[in-house]
Amino acid sequence: MTDTDPSFASKDVPSTLMRQTLLDRELVRPATDRPVIRLLPWLHVVTIGGRSIMDRGRDAVLPLVDELRAAFGEYRMLIATGPGIRARHVFGVALDLGLPTGVLASLASTEAEQNGHIVAALLAEEGVSYLPHTSVGHQLAVHLSASPAAVSNGFPPYELFEFPPVIGKIPPHRTDTGAFLLADAYGAARAIYVKDVDGVYTCDPATAGDGEAEFIPRVGAAELLAMDLPSLPIDRLVLELMGSAKHQKEIQIVDGLKPGNVTKALRGEHVGTIVYADA
Amino acid sequence: MVDQGDAGALHSLLMSRSLTDAELLEASDAAPDYAILPDANVLKIGGQSVIDRGRVAVYPIVEELVKAKGDHQIMIGTGAGTRARHLYALAAELGLPTGALNDIGTAVAGQNAKILGHLLARHGVPVVGGSGFGVIPLYLAECGAVVFPGMPPYDMWQHVPSEGVIPPYRTDAGCWLVAEVYGARSMTFVKDEDGLYTANPKTDPDATLIESITVDELIAMDLPDLVIERPLLQLMRHARHVRTIQVINGLKPELITRALAGEHVGTIISAA
Repeated sequence: MTDTDPSFASKDVPSTLMRQTLLDRELVRPATDRPVIRLLPWLHVVTIGGRSIMDRGRDAVLPLVDELRAAFGEYRMLIATGPGIRARHVFGVALDLGLPTGVLASLASTEAEQNGHIVAALLAEEGVSYLPHTSVGHQLAVHLSASPAAVSNGFPPYELFEFPPVIGKIPPHRTDTGAFLLADAYGAARAIYVKDVDGVYTCDPATAGDGEAEFIPRVGAAELLAMDLPSLPIDRLVLELMGSAKHQKEIQIVDGLKPGNVTKALRGEHVGTIVYADA
Repeated sequence: MVDQGDAGALHSLLMSRSLTDAELLEASDAAPDYAILPDANVLKIGGQSVIDRGRVAVYPIVEELVKAKGDHQIMIGTGAGTRARHLYALAAELGLPTGALNDIGTAVAGQNAKILGHLLARHGVPVVGGSGFGVIPLYLAECGAVVFPGMPPYDMWQHVPSEGVIPPYRTDAGCWLVAEVYGARSMTFVKDEDGLYTANPKTDPDATLIESITVDELIAMDLPDLVIERPLLQLMRHARHVRTIQVINGLKPELITRALAGEHVGTIISAA
């Protein structure tokens, strides 16, 4: 082989995927069909809603933080926070200026991070710190070996690389989705979403007439999507992604305003709506 | 329905509705589109298809890029290539999840960005990544080009494919997303084939070149193999700025300049 030789096979690293486009399913399958291991099978991912919990302030946040603190030692947790109302404000500012979805995503992510810093500060005495994405993605094992929990930004690190959404310009990968993808990648034991409702209702119980909203205690993700409900306490993208999840085949949405719910959900009790992969 | 620029109505929807609310999404859709870097052109230089070939393919392309940056602002994204394939195969065999594999793509695309960066260094072209993206406008204004690793930074948050563990959004998607978010003027994929074929031209002698096609037509064809990442086609459907891409043959380096000049010299894939 010389420098001008157009053949370059000798420059390949031999592997089962060598010279593949990685797009031919038949060729990729034999190399990648092994079962995926659970990296952190003891991990509990607890997502705290921005609007539903954080924006309510002291009355909602302090009892929840106390409840999480009481569960430390028994459960190793990653606490992910959402951005809440400030994300709505910054979306409004950025949309008015014509900025793209990727910029909106990076701006909202900053707000989710601020809420994470708040929760971490309240738990600092217990050894809990806020971890940036790079630490959550690479050093979570050591952090959770040294302390009972860590707090992170629920938004995934998509930022400028956020997908253009199907309709409009609101970033599709938000807190719920970020926490779900992370929980699945780590093979976590549970993913719990702490909100301000018991779970999924047939319509929004906050605005519906008496008895109109019917509670759904357990439902398949695809089934729930097909119901096309006017509002959901969890991002639809989570439901769409559940079908391809390797481990996270079930999530639970619980009302964090009711004391004891989060503890029960950590134990595996059914206190809210359980959504499972049915596709 | 909210008119474009009706910031007050949009603000009140944002403050009161769920982010999945149909009316809110429609209102966000009506917001204006500001192109951040409308004169920039994104070029993706393939890993396996170009950089892994070494000097014989890379030197002429570097020469062409240096010439082109005098006339056009170019953001050069890099692919991963053969080392990523080795690592993906190894990691998949060991049962590692997609999120862990994402880093592999990031690392190898990063190496290729360093390699191109060193070759372009004497021409003043820097390598940027992560938080360094903030200085891209300055570099483009000062020296006409930057190099960046093409892999999206999804890390442990990468989507899981329906089958297997290979990250579905890799350097093709990453480079296009950069073009889209900056509202770039063009997106060109520099590979080692004349464009998109009906099958893999390296393994199928009956493969024929498709000169132009829409995303929907291409999805409907459901080709067994493709020259660009399949999920990128879905992303392009919802593009607001970069609604066409061109796939060209970098082994004919003069095509880079011609593609930047807007000529049709490979396969043009368009969103509609």
